[in-house]
Amino acid sequence: MNRRALIAMAATAATARLLPTQARAQSPARLRPPGALTEEAFQRACIGCFRCAEVCPVLAIRFPRTFSLESALPFIEARERACVLCMKCTQVCPTDALTEIAPQPDVVAASVRMGEPVLDRSRCLPWTGQGNCRLCHTVCPYADRAVEVVGPAAAPFFHREACVGCGLCEEACPPDVHAIRIVPPLASPERER
Amino acid sequence: MLWVFLLPLWHLKRLLSQGAGLAAQSRFVPVAEALPWPRWVPGTGSPGSLSFFGLDFVDPMFTFSVWASKAAQPGLFAAAFVGVALVLVLGRFFCGWACPYLPLLAVSQATRRLLSKLGFPLFDVRLPRWLAYTVLGAVLLTSSVVGVQLGTLVYPPSVIGREVFGALCFGTFTTASAGVGLAFLFDTFISRAGFCRSVCPGGAMFSLLATASPLRVVNERAKCTDCTACDVICNLGQQPMTNQLDAGCERCGRCIAVCPTQALAWRLARPLVARSEKGET
Repeated sequence: MNRRALIAMAATAATARLLPTQARAQSPARLRPPGALTEEAFQRACIGCFRCAEVCPVLAIRFPRTFSLESALPFIEARERACVLCMKCTQVCPTDALTEIAPQPDVVAASVRMGEPVLDRSRCLPWTGQGNCRLCHTVCPYADRAVEVVGPAAAPFFHREACVGCGLCEEACPPDVHAIRIVPPLASPERER
Repeated sequence: MLWVFLLPLWHLKRLLSQGAGLAAQSRFVPVAEALPWPRWVPGTGSPGSLSFFGLDFVDPMFTFSVWASKAAQPGLFAAAFVGVALVLVLGRFFCGWACPYLPLLAVSQATRRLLSKLGFPLFDVRLPRWLAYTVLGAVLLTSSVVGVQLGTLVYPPSVIGREVFGALCFGTFTTASAGVGLAFLFDTFISRAGFCRSVCPGGAMFSLLATASPLRVVNERAKCTDCTACDVICNLGQQPMTNQLDAGCERCGRCIAVCPTQALAWRLARPLVARSEKGET
């Protein structure tokens, strides 16, 4: 029984490798932890073991609450709790669905692209002349590179190409304002930029 | 009955580390800092993938499933080596010692005993053995086709691990628990430990690798009184009394513990390959 089952299992696995690759999603619906492979490869490689979530010092990594094919895939809800870019999660992933990234600011800046900032200027306090907020600029680990304050109102101006997408600005943005969103990156071949 | 004591230890360690995480989440910083977390706790991870004292354990089913999905990164097999080696030697020990479904199974068994005392008719449907292997094959195949590791959604250790983590760190449960609930109901009312025995894909993977395991429960027939206590206590339908064990044995040792005459013992013996043609179904 077992020898036959072994052969059948090996044959099944080999068949599985021959089957055509169906790309479920080119772009993630939510932010993935740093170092994630492209969404398609990430979904294949992640085994939902939550080691990334467990080592996260701020518990930024969480799992969907409703049952779906993506129930076991970790994501970051930046508005609730943003990533602090410690890169611990990239070091514990057993299947390398999160590729290891050294926790040095320059390395992180060069290789992490969790998402891209989108600023709604009609909600942003300085842009609408409602005062001198600058919270996003204060918390940004790459202040003056990813976001700088411009103009007489000292309003934030984001540079997408320098932003790692950690979401600290989205978390810091006053809740009833919520002018900043980090949106997952579109499928871009230059992820390792 | 060592497993009764080992199991809480396993969970206690996780509770400690995750309870500290909960404290951190609640921003009750003094507590989080007072607890020696995470450096004191030597391991992280779920039952599906554990790092313990610097060693990586990855569930063999996930290793092969990721490989079959063409998603294996170079580091995977190095990380998976320890787990596979352990199963090759110790067989299906994970199911009997470490699976987080075990406490639920214990409740299921207690419920069964209670129901039978109260005179309810209990079913014990024996599903064919090949069913688990079919489920495993289906998981490998459809994971590759769909592009998501389906084992994470149907394999109780994986699901329960995430549920416990979510409950402790975020105070949430997900609808994924429903699958585990179904397995529990099945095991309680339809087939004794039927999910573990003939559905669970991870258990099937362990059984396959366990074919090479030299660790076996052996009955010295001279001491045996044919009381059938060992056959009765086995959740997985093994028959240690007549030495009819196959790779499905989870090495939990309950049969050894229950034997009144110490006729059963662990032995290192030739692997079960040659003996597996009993035609058990």
